[in-house]
Amino acid sequence: MKYRKFLGAFVVLLIMEIAALAWFLNREEGVGVQDAVIVNEAVQSVQADWERMESHQNRTELDYTVLDNSGTVLFQTKTGLSGSIHEAVIRRDTILDVEAGGEVVGKLIIENDGVRIALRQRQRTAAVFLFAALFQCALCVIYAVSVRRTVILPFRKLQRFAERVAGGNLDIPLTMDRQNLFGAFTESFDIMRSELKKARIAEAQANASKKELIAKISHDIRTPVSSIRAASEVGAATADNEKTRQNYLHIVYKADQINTLVTDLFSATLEELRQLEVEPADMKSSELYAMLSEADYFHYAGIPSIPDCLVCADKIRLQQVFDNLFSNSYKYADTEIQVEAALTDGYLCIRIEDHGGGVPDADVGRLKEKYWRGRNTKNVEGAGLGLHIADSFMGEMRGKLVLENGKYGLAATVFLALSGNDEKI
Amino acid sequence: MKEALIGTERLSKSFSNGGAMQHVLKNMDLTLYQGDFTVIMGASGAGKSTLLYALSGMDTPTLGKITCCGKEISGLSSDELAVFRKEHCGFVFQQIYLIDTMSVMDNVLAAGLLVSRDKKAVAARAKELFHAVGIPEETQRKFPTQISGGEAQRVGIVRALINSPEILFADEPTGALNSKAGLDVLDTLTKFHEEGLSVVMVTHDMRSARRGNRILYLKDGAVMGECELGHYKPDDKARHEKLRAFLAEMGW
Repeated sequence: MKYRKFLGAFVVLLIMEIAALAWFLNREEGVGVQDAVIVNEAVQSVQADWERMESHQNRTELDYTVLDNSGTVLFQTKTGLSGSIHEAVIRRDTILDVEAGGEVVGKLIIENDGVRIALRQRQRTAAVFLFAALFQCALCVIYAVSVRRTVILPFRKLQRFAERVAGGNLDIPLTMDRQNLFGAFTESFDIMRSELKKARIAEAQANASKKELIAKISHDIRTPVSSIRAASEVGAATADNEKTRQNYLHIVYKADQINTLVTDLFSATLEELRQLEVEPADMKSSELYAMLSEADYFHYAGIPSIPDCLVCADKIRLQQVFDNLFSNSYKYADTEIQVEAALTDGYLCIRIEDHGGGVPDADVGRLKEKYWRGRNTKNVEGAGLGLHIADSFMGEMRGKLVLENGKYGLAATVFLALSGNDEKI
Repeated sequence: MKEALIGTERLSKSFSNGGAMQHVLKNMDLTLYQGDFTVIMGASGAGKSTLLYALSGMDTPTLGKITCCGKEISGLSSDELAVFRKEHCGFVFQQIYLIDTMSVMDNVLAAGLLVSRDKKAVAARAKELFHAVGIPEETQRKFPTQISGGEAQRVGIVRALINSPEILFADEPTGALNSKAGLDVLDTLTKFHEEGLSVVMVTHDMRSARRGNRILYLKDGAVMGECELGHYKPDDKARHEKLRAFLAEMGW
């Protein structure tokens, strides 16, 4: 609807401009037309005062000069007017005779103000066109701002949302806005995110149960297998012939094999996290600004300037770490966030602290534990994996993640290893 | 206490290679000292020459700060860098780049007259340097195509020193020379160093590296290790063994 209004305004303005142009081209030129009555009035007043020109008063709106027959200037309504017949001819002024007693006694030179009038008209015309141009510019600016607000920004928002979802961060919702072109899709996208998140949590819970089951079964299997092994060893020791002894030893060997397989099965579940690939490479620290801004989806933080250096990081994984830290802060603190960047011994440190008051000191050490969730998380979705994975990622990038209670709230410091430091012996 | 001559803070240099960034020097914090013969070693692609060009103002860093001869050069324009190099630095390259259409003496004078207008003083300094490197007058009148590689490199050293620089940068100065000519060039560099000249040399030749009193070993754009050898003595076996052990530790 808005676009129709804009289009309408443009069409109306165009029609007005064409009409103004047509009027301008076809109008009667008033320049140079002299009002004969006023001119006559001026002549009459000069003739009446001829004998006492020193006390003559201009009773018209015209500007003029009065000369006698010898060319002497007797009167001028203002300075700068023609002072002789010659000047008057050059300026195309009106020259009239002044008569007294039936004889021509002098000349009245009436100023030609056509140039001044033409200049005024040109200025007026220019002002009209300038106004029209400004109006057009204003419409263009309004249109551009409107397109940016309703199309470009929502599209970028969708793009960032898609990138976050692709990167595995399903915590940050896509805010709904029916005013923009994508409003209709937004809700569907967010429902999709929500469903994906539920599925992922369900999967994590299922995996956790599976692991518990495996751990339990492995323990339960090991116990009878150990009994079988012990009994077989006794049998082998007390066997009265070689064949029986060999049979017992075979049972012992197989019991050991079962034990090894069960142990491997249990270890494999614990190694699951290591399947997430992290490929650190050198990157300029200046890129962190955009990454932090990207992670600070609700703009709760002022991102500081980052000291120039090269750091070792996997951009995708580091973005996930920042996303996780900011989304945790949104979920559990929902306050302003302070971000600081500084160089320490071999690291670039990014410290992110919220104003939520922190967590109980006893819990700080457990925040990075797998599947462990704090006491304030009951009504918030989550699987207790985010910080554990973030810590694992930072380790893979030769950095670290340190969590502590700061002055205002929970502070997470991301230590990024400076490139080149790993080469030192 | 040695006086710092060149200092870097988080010096990094990156090149765009087909759209992908290649980081050749990484966060290098380094101090080189006045009067030292510093040798920079490392495998091909470790960033040796890039470091030399950055330290000498031949190239600008991507990130970080470089202070050379008491002046911060990392923020200078290319014109300012040219003036800085002319006044403070001498260069010796593997390729000598003498002008074939000028005599050996004129090659040196041309470089000297870029800084000084006093032709007599420049000529006197050139003769003194030619004498020091063992180039006779007869050879000084020859053209570069008429002299040997070893002689040409010694002329290159004279040209580098004609403006009495505070520091001499050498990039593989013996790389294109045979064994005898290379030895002559190294002797020449050692002689000037003993007279107080600061030298920074890039090489991957162990025989050249022995001449330095401080060895820096680069790997993947960072200083992996360094070794202080003390002053060069031709028959000091312990010194040679120390260098050999250091390079072995570096995986050279």
